[in-house]
Amino acid sequence: MAEKPQSVRVLYCPVCSLPAEYCEFGPDFEKCKPWLIENAPELYPDLLKDSNDKEADKVSEQLKSVGISSSGGDGTTTAAPSGGTSTSKQEVKRLPGGKIKKKEKQEVVIEKIVRNKRKCVTVVKGLDLFGVKLSDASKKLGKKFATGASVVKGPTEKEQIDVQGDIAYDIVEFITETWPDVPETAIFFIEDGRKVAAA
Amino acid sequence: MFKKFSSEDVSSQNQVKASVQRKIRQSIADEYPGLEPVLDDLLPKKSPLIVVKCQNHLNLVMVNNVPLFFNVRDGPYMPTLRLLHQYPDIMKKLQVDRGAIKFVLSGANIMCPGLTSPGGALDDDALAETPVAIMAEGKKHALAIGFTKMSAKDIRAINKGIGVDNMHYLNDGLWKMERLE
Ligand SMILES: [Zn+2]
Repeated sequence: MAEKPQSVRVLYCPVCSLPAEYCEFGPDFEKCKPWLIENAPELYPDLLKDSNDKEADKVSEQLKSVGISSSGGDGTTTAAPSGGTSTSKQEVKRLPGGKIKKKEKQEVVIEKIVRNKRKCVTVVKGLDLFGVKLSDASKKLGKKFATGASVVKGPTEKEQIDVQGDIAYDIVEFITETWPDVPETAIFFIEDGRKVAAA
Repeated sequence: MFKKFSSEDVSSQNQVKASVQRKIRQSIADEYPGLEPVLDDLLPKKSPLIVVKCQNHLNLVMVNNVPLFFNVRDGPYMPTLRLLHQYPDIMKKLQVDRGAIKFVLSGANIMCPGLTSPGGALDDDALAETPVAIMAEGKKHALAIGFTKMSAKDIRAINKGIGVDNMHYLNDGLWKMERLE
């Protein structure tokens, strides 16, 4: 009988489930990248190069901000130093917080999508940015407008609420009344591909 | 075949009797001699072997809720990609060029030119109507399990049309079914 073949362990990407070398052909390579840089940099040398550049920047920025805040000695390690070096001021402002990176604009966007002539769906995006629980909101919208409403993943992977029917014009009042945290000025419509303020 | 496959396509799951279990085991051993030494680990005699019948005359062979092999009607058993990844040398290998990868991963059958171009490669011993591993230019691991429509020699000589049927590929329904409860 032949030798027992040694079983091979393949490195699978936990993000897309494919062997790491196939992430580039997977459903969303961008999402795999952070994990790949950490766990399979040899497979994507270009990725590593890019991130090294960024990483190097980050480290030097961090060093700068640490240096500044300790010399300042006022204990505000998390806040950006006001008198920081002019070259790195902007980056430093973003970095200590860490998560701020790309802050999403707090706004609610309402779009009416017409399906086969008569039927249409009103899409509401962004309520979650005001701390509104979408499943809750969807129930309330469905009840208020006596229609079907559901939380779905939008094209950019962000969750949105789809409400059956054209309710676009009553919805603003309903939103501002139900969730006072959402100002009318933060509500926008998409009309003919253009963003229009509701207020 | 598994493009839209999910647990909803399962029509029955049955623990097969010992004689059937032996038959399945034997045909797997015949098809993949390289697997024989580890067959006792893969299909332990004391673990029940489950045959899952699905739509379109498709069967899965499953142990401990993990699909390991599949076949169509009475056709040859083919390993799942996860199993092939562990024992990559049990099948003959055909390699597609890089340009073909995205088509294979969307379920397309494998066209001859993708195998005969500079990035492709053929095992000349691969005959028609046999299961093969589909590899890819620049990649270490298989991206699909194929069933040859013509021999490797004919693929080279004819060099047009479909050379290999794409049976199972990365991220299809069977790939996503790591376990079936
Ligand atoms: Zn991935």
